[in-house]
Amino acid sequence: MTVTLEVSGLSKTYGSGEQAVQAVRDASFSTQPGAFVAVVGPSGSGKTTLLAMVGGLLTPTAGTIVVNGRDIAGLSRSQQAAYRRESVGYVFQANNLLPFLTARENLLVMAQISGTARKAARARADRLLAELGIEGRAGALATELSGGERQRVAIARALMNDPGLVLVDEPTASLDSARGRQVVESLIREVKQRGKLGLMVTHDMDMAKLADRILAMHDGLMTEVEKS
Amino acid sequence: MTRGTGAAGVTAVIGLLEIRRRKLQFILIALIVTLISYLVLMINGLGVGLNEQAGSALKNFDADAIAYSERAGLSVIRSELSAELVAEIRQRFGDESSAPLGYLAANYQAADGEIDSAAFLGFEPGSIGEPKVTKGRMLTADDRDGLLVDRSFLRYSGLDVGDAVRVSIRLVERDYVIIGETNEGNFFFQPSVYLLRSSWQELKYGKSGSDVPAASIMLLKGKGTAGSRGSGWIAVDKSTAFANIEGVSGQQSTVQALRVFGYLIGGLVIGVFFYVLTLQKIGQIGVLKAVGASSFFVFRQVLLQVLAISIAGVAIAIPLAWLTNRALQQVPNPVPIAFTTGTFLVTSALLVLMAAIGAAFSGRQVAKVDPIIALGQQQ
Repeated sequence: MTVTLEVSGLSKTYGSGEQAVQAVRDASFSTQPGAFVAVVGPSGSGKTTLLAMVGGLLTPTAGTIVVNGRDIAGLSRSQQAAYRRESVGYVFQANNLLPFLTARENLLVMAQISGTARKAARARADRLLAELGIEGRAGALATELSGGERQRVAIARALMNDPGLVLVDEPTASLDSARGRQVVESLIREVKQRGKLGLMVTHDMDMAKLADRILAMHDGLMTEVEKS
Repeated sequence: MTRGTGAAGVTAVIGLLEIRRRKLQFILIALIVTLISYLVLMINGLGVGLNEQAGSALKNFDADAIAYSERAGLSVIRSELSAELVAEIRQRFGDESSAPLGYLAANYQAADGEIDSAAFLGFEPGSIGEPKVTKGRMLTADDRDGLLVDRSFLRYSGLDVGDAVRVSIRLVERDYVIIGETNEGNFFFQPSVYLLRSSWQELKYGKSGSDVPAASIMLLKGKGTAGSRGSGWIAVDKSTAFANIEGVSGQQSTVQALRVFGYLIGGLVIGVFFYVLTLQKIGQIGVLKAVGASSFFVFRQVLLQVLAISIAGVAIAIPLAWLTNRALQQVPNPVPIAFTTGTFLVTSALLVLMAAIGAAFSGRQVAKVDPIIALGQQQ
């Protein structure tokens, strides 16, 4: 599955009146399949809010998010869940694998959620784990994996349901810089090879430079950063 | 360490996999469920046991209704029917559908010399008041000193068929011989002992004949017997008669209250356990919802866990309760606990149902979890 993404005039305000905080202000950008975009910025700059809105976890206060020609900004909660299930793959900070499941089972959960046939799901899970070089750890519990291995399983999980959009939240937060770089490189490779659209939020400029484009957020405002 | 995944099972039941991988946590919860189920089963067994002790013999009568003297207020103890009333009732329903029965609580001397009490029931051989003999033989009209005793009487007294037994009432003592054994159960919380109606008259009134009451009650069989009445007598169905045994309604409502509280507390405790467990897993639930799982999908896993744990708990509690009852029946004066298949089935089903209702607390919590928490959370 491939998708196009067009974000236009996107804003998000938390609270109201004097307590109102504008987390994202009038953000606009668009990308094509196969692109990997990094969003950088300090804590509280609004980058995670932007990711949550694009991923259907938050409803914007204003603006549109058009994914494959469909505006997802006004979806109901159940429609948002279906959108996340069908179109979005998440790689969370610290991976957030289910600790009582093995690497393979963490992938198969995705198939269960989407209702994919078991046999096909198992074959796809094993193929993804092999492609990410962790097929030997398929039967290990998430708690028995190293930080790098967990993050690779998280990437495989994000790709399990063949989503068009892969959203990544601080993927290197719990890794050292060398391992973090390896993870981001493999993530970008997997996303681009499959023709997906990647959007990664990070505070690490070195990691952001590995992406095709860099968008910087500061106090909710978005600017494009020229890659040097 | 590598685990066999068995993908088919894996995709089907995350909830069950969690139980398998977090054994200790779930074993402890199952232990609590087992103890609660055990407690509720024992209370239910006690209810059935007390019921049987109260008057299973009354329930076992081959009759549809019991006739009392009108002024007795449906009390077997206070009811007395004259020979004329007995004749009138007999004439109305026929000899085959009615039988006089005398009742008397009297003491007897057990084999070890202890004095205990029993319910002495005077009947007429060949009538519908005749009990079934399981050992020995039926009384004949000549067995004026013969007794048919319930098997519980034999157990309590240490006596056996063929033994002599001394019965005392007020200042009178009489010697009888146990001719046969019955399995009709208790009457008025005492083991039932059957004797000829004329012998009952002699034991109760000092003589037999038409100038003393002929019976305490009449057993009536057939359609329309319950609810019938005549001059000086009234008939009710067996259930009403049972409920009017002195002390029964208070006892049964106490047991019923214990039973209801048992179910409520059981459901509540199981519900709270899983609610706390759900609270501990809010982060994981957030992740599942963030990747597209519906609240129903997540709740299904919780419900599956609740059902698996409660079924396991009940399955362990049933043999435990049964074994406890077996052990309790070995003591000289056993606690009146009785189990039936129905008791086990109904209690188990209600406990599992209450646990499922308790799980609804978790369902509300699951629905409230915002998937946004998956973002930015550290493990």
